[in-house]
Amino acid sequence: MAETTAVTSVGPAWALAAAATLGALVILAAAFQGLLTARSQGATGGITRPFGEAARLMRQRRRTTVSADGLLWRIGSSGLLVAALLMVAVVPLGEWTIFDLDVGVMWFNAMDVLVWALIWLTGWGANSAHSLIGGYRFLAHGLGYELPLMFALVAPAIAASSLNVGDVAAAQEGLWFAVWMPVAFLAYCLGVVAFSVWGPFEPAIGSDLGGGVRAELSGVDRLVFELGRYALLAAGAAFAVPMFLGGGSGPLLAGWVWVLIKAAVLLGVFVWGRRRLPAFRPDKFLEVGWLVLLPAVLLQDLIVAVVSVWRT
Amino acid sequence: MIADIAFWAIGAVAVLAGAAVFYVDSMARATYALAVSFIAVGFQLLFLQQNYVGVVTVLMMVMEMAIMAVYMVMFMGMNPALMPMSMVHDNKKSLAVAIGTFAFLAAGVLLIDWPARRGAPPADVTSALGEALMGPKMLVMAVISPVMVATIVAGVVLAAHRTRYDRFGDDLKRRPAEDPQPGGIGR
Amino acid sequence: MGVGDAIARLAASHVHVLVVEVPHHWRLRTEVERHVLARNWVLATSPADADVMAVCGEPGKQLSEALAMVWHQLPGPRVRLDVRTDDDISSRLDQAHAALLDSGLHRQDARNRPAAADLLGGQDHDSMDHDSMDHDSMDHDGHGSMEMSPGGIPLAEGGEDRDGLEMDVLHLPLGPILAHWPAGLVLRCALQGDVIVEAKAEVLDQPGGHQPTKHQDAEPALVAARRCDNIATLLALAGWDDAAAQARIIRDEVLTLPPTAGGSSSVEGLAKLHRKVRRSRLLRWSLRGVGSFGSDQIEHQGLPAEAAGDTYDRLLRMFERAHRDLSGDQPGHPDPVLLSPSRLPTLVTGLDLATARLVIASLDLHELTSEHANHEMAHG
Repeated sequence: MAETTAVTSVGPAWALAAAATLGALVILAAAFQGLLTARSQGATGGITRPFGEAARLMRQRRRTTVSADGLLWRIGSSGLLVAALLMVAVVPLGEWTIFDLDVGVMWFNAMDVLVWALIWLTGWGANSAHSLIGGYRFLAHGLGYELPLMFALVAPAIAASSLNVGDVAAAQEGLWFAVWMPVAFLAYCLGVVAFSVWGPFEPAIGSDLGGGVRAELSGVDRLVFELGRYALLAAGAAFAVPMFLGGGSGPLLAGWVWVLIKAAVLLGVFVWGRRRLPAFRPDKFLEVGWLVLLPAVLLQDLIVAVVSVWRT
Repeated sequence: MIADIAFWAIGAVAVLAGAAVFYVDSMARATYALAVSFIAVGFQLLFLQQNYVGVVTVLMMVMEMAIMAVYMVMFMGMNPALMPMSMVHDNKKSLAVAIGTFAFLAAGVLLIDWPARRGAPPADVTSALGEALMGPKMLVMAVISPVMVATIVAGVVLAAHRTRYDRFGDDLKRRPAEDPQPGGIGR
Repeated sequence: MGVGDAIARLAASHVHVLVVEVPHHWRLRTEVERHVLARNWVLATSPADADVMAVCGEPGKQLSEALAMVWHQLPGPRVRLDVRTDDDISSRLDQAHAALLDSGLHRQDARNRPAAADLLGGQDHDSMDHDSMDHDSMDHDGHGSMEMSPGGIPLAEGGEDRDGLEMDVLHLPLGPILAHWPAGLVLRCALQGDVIVEAKAEVLDQPGGHQPTKHQDAEPALVAARRCDNIATLLALAGWDDAAAQARIIRDEVLTLPPTAGGSSSVEGLAKLHRKVRRSRLLRWSLRGVGSFGSDQIEHQGLPAEAAGDTYDRLLRMFERAHRDLSGDQPGHPDPVLLSPSRLPTLVTGLDLATARLVIASLDLHELTSEHANHEMAHG
């Protein structure tokens, strides 16, 4: 497609600004999480939790285990942040984006599959039974959520006839995709929560395994791992905005403000939902993913395809 | 110019990572060296203006390596990654075959002329390709996919150790099914 | 240095505490937990996550050895806290806080820590087959001069698993220092993947034929609080943090408020939580079918009658019994659950780690006794 797209590419020099925006969303999510945790335990405060935890982890020493596979371990734990930053590189903030890739949707998908490798590597590298079992629990969840997520990303692309994220955002004039593709939106949200190892998908880092994948992480490694998790959640929430929530459209305020507001609201919903839902057991979730979610999302794709053909 | 240098550098990474698969002594490292090699090839495709193919290559290959990790534990008898083990066997024979194949293919690449182009590519390559596939070949496309899926499913069912009589009893009436690991739907 | 001190102060306001419970000191552990959470500190799930290790009670010999091993695994800055009585927990935690701020102390501690080779040195003598082992070559990344034991730890042997594949068998001891785990219990599992194929249970520092200290826990209120604690544990293991936190709050209310004043609000709180848990279809789906015990199994293995059904049934029954104890409907017989650790292996064999932990938590254990005392508990 040689025609111009709705967003302008500002080039990689603005990557720092994108990282800063992602960082702001991460701090927001962590502060909200701290507030909810404190409130549920009957204590006050908790808003300063992100800063306190960061300070504590920076002060803590790193550690290693016997015969740990150091290279793979550190790649795994630090790669999550990199994957999140790469994801955010294709999300348009209003009318600016860093990479106006014509296959932006696929790029997001490829980055979230990287998380599969990274979490398993973190679990493997520590040479610890608990962290390895956590890594395999994540893969079990992954087998359940990934295909529904992929097919859910196909639905907006079909409706917009393009894999470019800016085009998908522009194609939602009038009616947001989340309204008439609810199953795809739900599968997408489930996928975002799952690849951030968040909420009901936390058995991989569960307390019954002594922290699972992060059982042996401490200090800076743990800080980068946690930042990576929150950053993935924020990047997923931010990506939902052009895909399902109309991009920067909205009255009164500028496009980029609306993108941030919508991303923050979705992120807030994810954080709020975490403490209220029990965990999905990986062995049980696998059947749900393949026998319930996948057919539902495929049906949704069929409906979207029929509607798109009928519209043109 | 920079794009050329980047292309060749990434190519070198791909080859070196591929060689590393045989050189490292740990299954996990071999698996992920292979993943790095494939990711490098995927990025090279981006330089060739094949964005979709490049990104999909990265996606598929990383997922495959992660699944390979699952099989690694399922089927490897000995602890696969900590015990330093050699990743190669039948060294002399495979080296001979590899060098022979490379020589043959390189000779073909260098000696055979590039074919002359007939006509020009259409303005919209993607939709032309789509119409070519979906037009006269539509029936084939629509039939092949279900047949492939049915074959895979049939193969797994035939190879499975437990049949439905094991799960539901001889009269196929026992519910819930007797499974060592029950699933989440209760089928 | 200003920045360093500021960071230290900020860090010390969010301490992670690893709370270790010595058997028979349950009340002390609840008090420590309550104080930790009231300060907005966090209960750590693993030694790598912890700044402070709080030992509640006087540990016996075996538990002290385990504690020493875990102490080595805490990265710095670290503080060890031995809590013996519940009088001064708050001031002890303040002391720990102050100790954490003292960077000089931690630098000294870091310099004095033993090297990995010293820690591993005691373990390799019985696991080496070959006499020509070169001990000096044992370093962190295990460069393969070890024949069968990289880093001094022997490799797992293969064995056939339940599907007929050959998989490595890993010997993993669970406990005694593990989050949401009965105090002092060590479950030595043989794992294939994460499925337990064999297990052996014991309680540390328990001489054979030991009679359980007769129950200071016999009051209904204390038994009810214990049950609330077990409910919180099970809900936390099921991944439902909010409900677990609520159960913990109810437990603290029952323990700290006098029975007349606190009674009605805890009963209400418990009823509310019970309704919430009953309404949650997700929790029911998650816990259904986990560890189902039929009545013949109950008799055969000498379990209490309340353990019939699956984990979800046992969870609901825990609520009912806690309610009954709190409201004092049946005065005189609070009926705490005592179980011998030798019963546990049959319960968990064949389950994977997550379900095994759910099953153990759902048994509503008040105490793990030795075999002798088990005969007294003939519930039918």
